[in-house]
Amino acid sequence: MASTTPDRSHTRGYVIAGVLTALMVVGTLLLLRNITDVAGHPLNTLRPLGDQARKIDDLVVPVFAVAGIVFVLVEGGVIFLIARFRRRSDDADGEGDPVQIHGNSSLEWAWTAVPALILAVIAAFNVAAIWDLEGDAQNAEMNVEVVGQQWWWEFRYDTNEDGKPDVITANQLVIPADTTVGVNIRSNDVIHSFWIPTLNGKRDAVPGRVHKIALHADKPGIYEGQCTEYCGLSHGYMRMQVKALTKADYEKWLDNQLDGPVEPKADTPAAEGKAIFNTKCASCHQIDGYDTSGAPTASGEPDPEYGGADHPLVSGNAPNLTHLMSRDHFAGGMFPLYDSYDEGAARTSAMPSGDPSQGELGDWLRDPPGKKPMASDRARGMPNLNLSEDEIDKLVAYLTTLK
Amino acid sequence: MALIEARTPAELSPPPQQTKQLGIFARPVETTGWKSWLFTVDHKKVGILYGVASMFFFVVGGSEALLIRTQLARPGGKLLSAALYNQVFTMHGITLVFLVVMPMMAALANFLLPLQIGARDVAFPRLNAFSFWCYLFGGLFLNSAWFLGGGADGGWFNYAPNSSVTFSPGHGIDFYALGLLIAGIASTVSAVNLIITVINMRAPGMTWMRLPVFTWMTLVTQFLLVFSLPVITVALFLLMFDRLFGSNFFNASLGGDPLLWQHLFWIFGHPEVYIMILPAFGITSELIPTFSRKPIFGYPFMVASGIAIGFMGFGVWAHHMFASGMGPVAVTAFSVSTMFIAVPTGVKILNWLATVYGGRLRMTTSMCFALGLVSMFTIGGLSGVTHALAPADTQQTDTYYIVAHFHYVLFGGSIFGVLGGYYFWWPKFFGHMLDEKIGKWHFWLTLIGMNLTFGPMHMLGLQGMSRRIFSYSDGQGFDLWNLVATIGAFTIAVSLLVFFYNCWVSYRRHKANPQDPGPDPWDARSLEWSVPSPVPEHNFDEIPQIEEFDDFWHRKYGHDENGRPVKIADAADVAQKGDATGVHLPSPSYWPIVLAAGLPFIAYGLIFNLVWAAIGALLVIVSIWGWVIEPSTAPHAEHPGEQQHEPEPEGDGGETATTAGELEEATVD
Repeated sequence: MASTTPDRSHTRGYVIAGVLTALMVVGTLLLLRNITDVAGHPLNTLRPLGDQARKIDDLVVPVFAVAGIVFVLVEGGVIFLIARFRRRSDDADGEGDPVQIHGNSSLEWAWTAVPALILAVIAAFNVAAIWDLEGDAQNAEMNVEVVGQQWWWEFRYDTNEDGKPDVITANQLVIPADTTVGVNIRSNDVIHSFWIPTLNGKRDAVPGRVHKIALHADKPGIYEGQCTEYCGLSHGYMRMQVKALTKADYEKWLDNQLDGPVEPKADTPAAEGKAIFNTKCASCHQIDGYDTSGAPTASGEPDPEYGGADHPLVSGNAPNLTHLMSRDHFAGGMFPLYDSYDEGAARTSAMPSGDPSQGELGDWLRDPPGKKPMASDRARGMPNLNLSEDEIDKLVAYLTTLK
Repeated sequence: MALIEARTPAELSPPPQQTKQLGIFARPVETTGWKSWLFTVDHKKVGILYGVASMFFFVVGGSEALLIRTQLARPGGKLLSAALYNQVFTMHGITLVFLVVMPMMAALANFLLPLQIGARDVAFPRLNAFSFWCYLFGGLFLNSAWFLGGGADGGWFNYAPNSSVTFSPGHGIDFYALGLLIAGIASTVSAVNLIITVINMRAPGMTWMRLPVFTWMTLVTQFLLVFSLPVITVALFLLMFDRLFGSNFFNASLGGDPLLWQHLFWIFGHPEVYIMILPAFGITSELIPTFSRKPIFGYPFMVASGIAIGFMGFGVWAHHMFASGMGPVAVTAFSVSTMFIAVPTGVKILNWLATVYGGRLRMTTSMCFALGLVSMFTIGGLSGVTHALAPADTQQTDTYYIVAHFHYVLFGGSIFGVLGGYYFWWPKFFGHMLDEKIGKWHFWLTLIGMNLTFGPMHMLGLQGMSRRIFSYSDGQGFDLWNLVATIGAFTIAVSLLVFFYNCWVSYRRHKANPQDPGPDPWDARSLEWSVPSPVPEHNFDEIPQIEEFDDFWHRKYGHDENGRPVKIADAADVAQKGDATGVHLPSPSYWPIVLAAGLPFIAYGLIFNLVWAAIGALLVIVSIWGWVIEPSTAPHAEHPGEQQHEPEPEGDGGETATTAGELEEATVD
């Protein structure tokens, strides 16, 4: 095509362009060298630890590669063109003006068609992946119900398949490893999004709808998650975890969950704490086998409508605490329930054991909205109950018995 | 009075001069001073007003961005409460989309479109002024929420049911709904006006395939506005009814559907993306040929790909909803359609590079921003392809990866385009150049700042950082890149200060030592460079006769047997002198600003007390009445130095404009 004054050397420009492009490529690669690290980035989307996340990763990584090549070609091209064709300070006006080329139809058709073809190939894999993931959800080996509400997650298990939940927990979803678990996602108030990046992509929890995705953890472990649809005030602090257990541990966990609550020994601080719980906490927080006034019920089963029946679109209820200490975190996955774990009883065993975080629980009871922003004046989130230090100690004593 | 109305026979035989006109129904006559700006109907003044107002809101929205970035600089940031943070990121988004980028494009469109097609004004000058005041008052109304109980807190996308009174009981979202309705009136009116202008008022010979690419892209944008704004208007009305009058369009427990809002919002919201980027593509398509000294490569492809982007832009909205659970069939359809919208965009990038190839590049600040757009938009486009894949998008949507993506498109695309355009057309606006040396500083700081800010967000997002979270924790691995992004954000702030400093210094220098940049300081190609800088009020002494694409260039240059340009005339010789007299121009009017001022009153009334709405309604009715009955011209609206006012329709800029009288007046020597 065009060339400017033929006697000029462009070597310097080419060298600069080459060095700049190389710097750009090396720099980008250096920045990206730890991108798939999962230890320091528990929510990493690029380190799949389950089947569904791996299918997504297998789809997108080659596209990242193609995009990377195009990136280098275009950015390198811009640098090259500037180095090669820029007007220098010693250039005279009007000298070496370029040939006025108006276009080249075959070239333009080519660079319309070639990207379209590349995209068509990618589209084929894309469509296959969409339906593959959909199939996983429909062919799950077991199902759990997930209910999002401001600003925590509830999980319901119907083990005897009678249509009523037998186990209700919160914030930490326990599943068996190496099993395809179907997650039916609902919402109690606004739209939330359930997302465990190392296991699968996200799916919104929309009021009035049930959305299903599959989770299949390769190995036992804790997989972090975060609500990713903006859901109001405390969206940033609405987190959750998936705890995958070996099948044997999962059965152990389930047996414990199906048992009723631990009853504190009489005349201990914990027993006094239970009395305080029944008067101050039970109107929102459920302990299986008790009603909202703290009186024993006939069935002893968890009540899915506990506290929230009158407000179908406002979460008036709060996490079920029957087996609080079987989880690792509380308050929407924000604060740890254990300071340290006993030897041999790692976080991924059926029941964590170790030093309960008395301090964290105490701080929380002292001023919940101070620890996590909540709209407790509008029945969403925990209000400050103005508990005395004595009440707090006794409540903590009670709560930490709820294994 | 609309210029094209001047063609009616009634105008050709003016009514007898009234001896007395009723005070307020006379037209204002000021041509200088603040009144000339408040009551102007001149498209150039309206364009400058758009530019100034959008810069003001840029500072407001940019300050909100700095608050966000300061909050997120370290884990557990305490600068803003969660409630305030949610308002700040919501208002940042609304401000930048509706009050900065769109009106920046409107500024350039208003100023340049009539000049590029060889017209003396837009089709409806008073409506044009009305559009601006509507936008300004709508924007002020939206931001007044800060002083009246707090801004909107539902995100710019404002998903139901979080936007209902139950979940957002403050007035912020009422301000959102009503403010956007007012701003929507501005955009709709302006879009209709500009479409009619381009269709009807092109100079003789300015056929469709001779239109400058900026005019083409802006025209496509106006069609997008006309077709997409009604959808958001409907959605906002539904939202308003839910909030103010207790309807249940989005309340699932009473049979409504929250996904209805999402579909309506994104049927508007996705074309909106192209509304914000296509004019920047147009600007780039003006800058690159000028500073490469070559015609745009593949003009028909550039035009067709712009139209294709606009058309396909209406068929991809649900790619914002891949995680919303709309079902695999819909996901498949929208995923595939989204992938292919990359094709026309890629064509544009390659055609720009082909234009540069073999050229003689003058690396002015404008050219730097134009090539910066090509480089930065490419990054945004490539990340866009990765989340066109629906399964990948379920990992990426609502993370900082998306924030990175659309900031590369909007900042690296739209804002780069506009800044390049400002440096380019500044002499046309104000009659002096911006300083090139400071301009280079501005460019490099902007480029470095934006890559420092938005580059790390790719990593943050892929490593799992969600959007719209007011804080994050130690141990999530987000510390480093957030800190880098915050440093970048302050770099961008500094770059903006450098730009303002440049505006001020260049103005002072011009005042102290005026230097006429001449009509054509860049040796450019399109019609606006054939009139003096700054552009005289009547634009063209005579409406030019257009012979070919890049007509003005071809009046300056022929070409030799190799196709290289050969100078045949100096710009100063072929340009117009701007000294025509007797050009009939529309008179200023009081009513556009008064009519627009009534709308916020109605909105305040709906929120607080209907008495305000009554006052607003009265203002609106009176000003519509005044608008209708005001005389078509001000008394003695002749131009200074005019010997005799000829009521001929030479001001209409249409195909019939080249009258014999004008040819006699021709000043080409």
